[in-house]
Amino acid sequence: MRVLIVIPCRNEAGNLPAVVAELRASRPGDDIAVIDDASRDATAAVARSLGCEAVTLPLHLGYGGAVQAGIKLGLRRGYDVVVTFDGDGQHDPADVEALVAAVAEGADLALGSRFQARGAYRGGPFRIAGRRLFAGLCRALTGLALDDPTSGLKALGPRAQALFATSRFPDRFPDADALVVAHRAGLVLTQRPARMRPSRNVHSMHDGLRPAAYAANMALSLLVAALGRARDLRE
Amino acid sequence: MPLRQQVVFLALTGLLLLVILELVRRRRLRVEYSWVWLGSGVSIVVLILRYDLLVRLTETVGAVVPTSTLFLLCILFLAVLCLDFSVRLSTLTRQVKDLTQELALLRHEREADPPGGTGDPAHAAPEERFK
Repeated sequence: MRVLIVIPCRNEAGNLPAVVAELRASRPGDDIAVIDDASRDATAAVARSLGCEAVTLPLHLGYGGAVQAGIKLGLRRGYDVVVTFDGDGQHDPADVEALVAAVAEGADLALGSRFQARGAYRGGPFRIAGRRLFAGLCRALTGLALDDPTSGLKALGPRAQALFATSRFPDRFPDADALVVAHRAGLVLTQRPARMRPSRNVHSMHDGLRPAAYAANMALSLLVAALGRARDLRE
Repeated sequence: MPLRQQVVFLALTGLLLLVILELVRRRRLRVEYSWVWLGSGVSIVVLILRYDLLVRLTETVGAVVPTSTLFLLCILFLAVLCLDFSVRLSTLTRQVKDLTQELALLRHEREADPPGGTGDPAHAAPEERFK
């Protein structure tokens, strides 16, 4: 299996060395692509010095646009699996293996779920409540049963890569809504335990969005994904 | 409507239509965007010449005075125009995102395998050429 690990980053020059070192130690055979979302620091240069591919976006697109650029890169190079991985040290490289294996077993998309892992960091009470809410919404709207639909740790097989490279991908905040789109397009989704750690950053890419605005946006985006025309998904 | 009012308003509307046509002619305004402005100009002309149409419309919608019907039409027109702009902005946002990603991927590809070698300044990004 050829695996590309995509790390969307904005101003992560300080965290990247540790994140990449940990990834290399546990996933020596995988390629790593850092998508530098128009950082003001030396993110791209640091990534290159660590031997990663570095794709620099000339304009700031946000998490969704950056991660989609990485998915497009993986799709064009013909990778069997594209893994989306956060650049702030939140994700544990040890969890990637199970996700890649799930795709190898026939899943189109494998999601890292922190509710399946025991004794792991889960975020504050509001974050937990928010995730429960979105998981419930997902299930109610589409029958898709996933514990942790806002997780950023995902492994994508070729069919999921192809779908997420199109305009059907909700490129603003692709979380639960992206999973609903994939589910409605007939892709096979599964989840595996993943241990999440507190972010190394005070300001991660997700912190900029105020939680309430984020929740409202996500709820609306979920509705749109759930009610979107099925015809568009079969293209 | 008194003749004097009709003449003044017709002249003003005629001027507006001329400005729109001139903007299109100078390519400052794209043809597809000019339709909505030309359409509104022409409907103003129609309402000036046929004030009875406005009166009848006022009775139909149940308004008391023709001016409120006119304001209603104006507000509706602006709302539709804003909606149209939002749709166009959404399209542009997606296109800019796609182009940004495409540019980043192409530049990355060229850096990995430059046609004239890495040292060739012609292949550096324009803003990096003068560093």
